Amino acid sequence: MERVLEVKALSRQFGARQALRDLHLHLERGDILGLLGPNGAGKTTCLQLLAGQLAPDQGCIRICGHDLLRAPRAAKQQLGYLPERPPLYPDLHLHDYLCYCARLHGLRAAALRAAVDEVIAECGLESVRQRLLGHLSKGYRQRVGLAQALLHNPALLLLDEPGDGLDPLQSQELRALIRRRAERGCAVIFSSHRLDEVQHLCKAVLILREGQTLYQGAPQGPAGTAPATPAASVALRVRLVPPSRPAALAALEPVASAEALDDGRMRLHLHPGTSPAQLSRMLVERGFGLAELGPEPNDLERLFLSGFGVRDRAA
Amino acid sequence: MLWVIARRESLTLFQTGLLWLLLAACALILGWVFLTVLDPFVGVDSDRLETLSINALNLRLVRELFGAASVLVLLIAPLLASRLLSSEWRDGRYALLAAAPLRPLDILLGKWLALALVLLALCALPGCLCLALALLGAPVDLGLCLSATLGLWLLGLLFAAVGLFAASLSAQPGAATVIAYGLLILLSVINRTDTAGMQALELFDWLSWGQHLFWFLIGAVRLSDLGYFVLLSAGFLALAERRLANRPYQ
Repeated sequence: MERVLEVKALSRQFGARQALRDLHLHLERGDILGLLGPNGAGKTTCLQLLAGQLAPDQGCIRICGHDLLRAPRAAKQQLGYLPERPPLYPDLHLHDYLCYCARLHGLRAAALRAAVDEVIAECGLESVRQRLLGHLSKGYRQRVGLAQALLHNPALLLLDEPGDGLDPLQSQELRALIRRRAERGCAVIFSSHRLDEVQHLCKAVLILREGQTLYQGAPQGPAGTAPATPAASVALRVRLVPPSRPAALAALEPVASAEALDDGRMRLHLHPGTSPAQLSRMLVERGFGLAELGPEPNDLERLFLSGFGVRDRAA
Repeated sequence: MLWVIARRESLTLFQTGLLWLLLAACALILGWVFLTVLDPFVGVDSDRLETLSINALNLRLVRELFGAASVLVLLIAPLLASRLLSSEWRDGRYALLAAAPLRPLDILLGKWLALALVLLALCALPGCLCLALALLGAPVDLGLCLSATLGLWLLGLLFAAVGLFAASLSAQPGAATVIAYGLLILLSVINRTDTAGMQALELFDWLSWGQHLFWFLIGAVRLSDLGYFVLLSAGFLALAERRLANRPYQ
């Protein structure tokens, strides 16, 4: 498969602060990579470097085989970028703005009109086609920013927190849009604070911490590190008052396994076909003081929290 | 590609109220200067005016009118230049251009051309006043007006280049404007070093824009003056281009 992005030993320093250190990355057509990390971890710096907004101190970025530093125009031709703050001209109408963006990427005449109409439809902007950008709501501004990044059908799409300011419905549309673009062969990197969004959408995640790669791989975590769970079993967290031993809970019929956690809770895996309702009923009937019963955080959340030394707690 | 940027930027400037407000204020000030110059000649029959008086009228009209316009251009060009570049950095819009397949030189020249178009409208104002006078039958030397308009526009292009260079130094439009004013004032008084007790150098004389504009205002279009405006504009644009090209490393 064609390699869209290849990053080797990418580093960037701001004064004494190392914003990004020794990042290696490659993406192929159709890949979706989620960029995770707390504020200040280096996500935006990473995307700015990949978009050519910043130059690296060390390392090499190749987009569709073009070196971003040595052949920036050829590399940027393949690039669509939505920065953290959408680059909008408040005095322009949406249609004029998108035409301008398309011209900047070399689109002309019929190709320009077709591209503008396509992204307006794709991003759900028909209702604001003739509105001034300065009069749009935050969600619409975000969508316009996304539209300008999609206009020239780029091979690599870089989105810096694209879900920011979107309501749940719009977030769902955004995820569908990213999936559609990936199916058309576009490689996508997007940063987000929403772990569920990344888990559902991405084929790979990159977790950054103070500019360093903390984890890179599948969102389910590296093979062997995730707790072994029987297929189709339900994972739960439970807190009992007074506390009980895991062995006592493991003896219950619906429970396949039980383990104690550091915070006094217990992680339970149920046998396939049994439900949390059955378990809760049984706990009450058997006289366990059930104080809390909730779902187990997903693999990515566990991976993220453990990576930052946060104790594994139920939400 | 730079035409795409120039067209967009000039349209953006013309679509905002600021430019029209500035043009209106300039028209008002120049109109007042125009009437002040003409006042002594009001009511005099043009047939009875001697050649000497006609020449004096033309020279005074051009000197006063275009001299005042040059000060207005000095005040306005840095304002517009900082709006085109510093404001884009401050508001995050520059990312759109930086992510597009453009060279920094394309971006810079596009913005400079936009300023050139806008300043042409301003520089045409005194010429329009002279033309209106000529249409009313006054013996106005239109060749002299044309030469002065060209000189004023070239001066505007230089000021725009200085403004863009200053804007490339700061993402704060206010700071960029102040830097540009500082540079332009320096270029205005650099030939007065002898008054500050320093030894006057020919280079300082040459660097000052006043004497180069002067030749245009008396109707002499000299290659050396054209060269001055072209060279200095190109120099400041080159400095600004370096700033833009090095920006990702900062």
